[in-house]
Amino acid sequence: MRIKRVFSMAWESMRQRKLRAFLTTLGVVIGITAIIALASLGEGFRVSITERMEQGFELDVLTVIPGTLFAGMRAPFTDSEVANIRKVSNVSAATPVMQMGSVELYNEDKKVTAFVAAAVNFTEFQEVFPDRFTNFEKGKIPEKIENDTLIIGYKVNHPNETEPAFANPNDNVTMTVSIPTATPFPQIRFENYSFTVAGTLEKTGTAGLTNFNYWVFMPLETARKIFDTNSSDLVFVKVSNADFSENVAEKIEALFPPYQLTVLVPLSFIQQVNSILNMVEIFLTSIASIALLVAGIGIMNIMTVSVMERTREIGILKAVGAKSRTVLTMFLAEAALVGVLGSLIGVPTGYGLAHVLSYVLSSFVSPQQNHVFQAPEAEQATITPVFSWSWVIIAVVFGIAICILFGLYPARKAAKLDPVEALRYE
Amino acid sequence: MTALLEAKGLKKTYRMGKVLVPALQGITFDVAEGEFLAVFGPSGSGKSTLLHVLGGLDRPDEGEVFVDGVGFSTLNDNALAEVRLRRIGFVFQFFNLLPRLTALRNVELPLTLADFPEKESIKKAEDMLKLVGLEDRMSHRPSEMSGGEQQRVAIARALVNDPKIVLADEPTGNLDTSTGGEIVQLMKRLNEEKGQTLVVVTHDPAIAETVDRIIYLEDGRVQRIKKGHGRL
Repeated sequence: MRIKRVFSMAWESMRQRKLRAFLTTLGVVIGITAIIALASLGEGFRVSITERMEQGFELDVLTVIPGTLFAGMRAPFTDSEVANIRKVSNVSAATPVMQMGSVELYNEDKKVTAFVAAAVNFTEFQEVFPDRFTNFEKGKIPEKIENDTLIIGYKVNHPNETEPAFANPNDNVTMTVSIPTATPFPQIRFENYSFTVAGTLEKTGTAGLTNFNYWVFMPLETARKIFDTNSSDLVFVKVSNADFSENVAEKIEALFPPYQLTVLVPLSFIQQVNSILNMVEIFLTSIASIALLVAGIGIMNIMTVSVMERTREIGILKAVGAKSRTVLTMFLAEAALVGVLGSLIGVPTGYGLAHVLSYVLSSFVSPQQNHVFQAPEAEQATITPVFSWSWVIIAVVFGIAICILFGLYPARKAAKLDPVEALRYE
Repeated sequence: MTALLEAKGLKKTYRMGKVLVPALQGITFDVAEGEFLAVFGPSGSGKSTLLHVLGGLDRPDEGEVFVDGVGFSTLNDNALAEVRLRRIGFVFQFFNLLPRLTALRNVELPLTLADFPEKESIKKAEDMLKLVGLEDRMSHRPSEMSGGEQQRVAIARALVNDPKIVLADEPTGNLDTSTGGEIVQLMKRLNEEKGQTLVVVTHDPAIAETVDRIIYLEDGRVQRIKKGHGRL
């Protein structure tokens, strides 16, 4: 029998039993809806986390620090070592940084604390962080950099949004720096230095490893004079393409004896997080698949009843000359139709549900005015469900496959019926 | 006259729980092309079983059925279904129409199963319904028709594939006398005008009046064969 006729007969038979068809289809709809909703939310969750992480760490910037976590510290980098790093292929820029920990700044009667005072080469630093070190609220990097030039991060300058800024360009500020000395015996000395503010930075992206909002920047040479050294505490390395970052990291490690330095590769962080999110997504969708499985069992149940009810009908079909295969196809066609119908309804419902859920969820986690726990740059946390054709195809194929699989047993039962006994069935 | 259908030494035993019921105990006879044959016998004489075996719905334990020289025992279930589809038409006591389908679709069913193009099969089904006098009942479902009308639809369905032979199991058994008489007349007309070969299993003496030959069955055996009042 032609497949088109088989399906039109199956459709007709479903229309004759509307409530039953509706209930079996509903099971599939719920299963598909759950899969699509969880998958698209999971994907949206991944996208939102990845975006946040990418804002936090520039993917193409590696951080090279001396020593390793377990093998201990080593001496800071010399300028020639930095020069060697700069020569590694696919490195487009590298800049050494001296860190001074937290410092206190005074401007007349105002006082602020910066978490990190960094000494950098302003022009090189700008090359490595073009997005974060170029937008100035006021002022700019001066053409001629003096020893006392100072750049202030946004949060340092605005510890409290409601009060006026701590300093403006050309203000003279005093910085208290703690300087460790080894002679005559280990101790910390506090010294005051005077700086002229050249610029104050705009607020930069979300918090990451290096949150410049809490930093102040002075020229590298100045810091070297203060601390009487020629070395640097860490090196930021910009890679020409984030995809090379693992490779560049290996090459940089190879420049030094083993266990002498650590290269932080943001891409591998994100890849780790991604693989965790992958597992979460698979876990969520497998839970959703259980719903579809239950729907499949429902189909098997109802079709088995249906085969019993239609025993006589099957007997008639066989007496008239229908082959077992034809009867099998007729029943499988009904199961497949349930799957197709369920998927067609379930996919849009799933995306609809995902949007509703994401709206509800984001209103739950919207930032409260909670001063203790509020993140520095709390943004509205939104998870936008992601539409993906591959998930649509997976869900539809899975839905139809489940229906056919569970329809197989009752359909075979129908096909195997003995015509004489089926005709006698009351 | 050539034999269209041959039954040779048919034996069939049923198991009803623990009891073995011998339904057919060695039945042999021929049906000639164009013949209108009746099988008479009390209930339990094995009439229906015989009809099922003749039509390839059931297989005998022993013996063989030939239609057009082809032995059923050589055919597998699929091939047997094909024989039922193309060479045999069934008419049942309880009509056995598909309740969900209209008269037209019921008659069309064998053609659909035989992969006829839809246009052609609808045309053929309409012709058949006209032949049995139901041109104004085509879009009615079985539940909207009288018993006699339903049996006419069943006869139309049995004929639509131009079968070699029509097997009818108590076709008048569920109808009142006058409606039953109309059905007998219809079958008689088909036999005379179209030369349709018919085998009818029945209690109905009215049929015995019309057929060419009567086979009397008792306890699964052919008791006697008698010439009827038909033209042959």
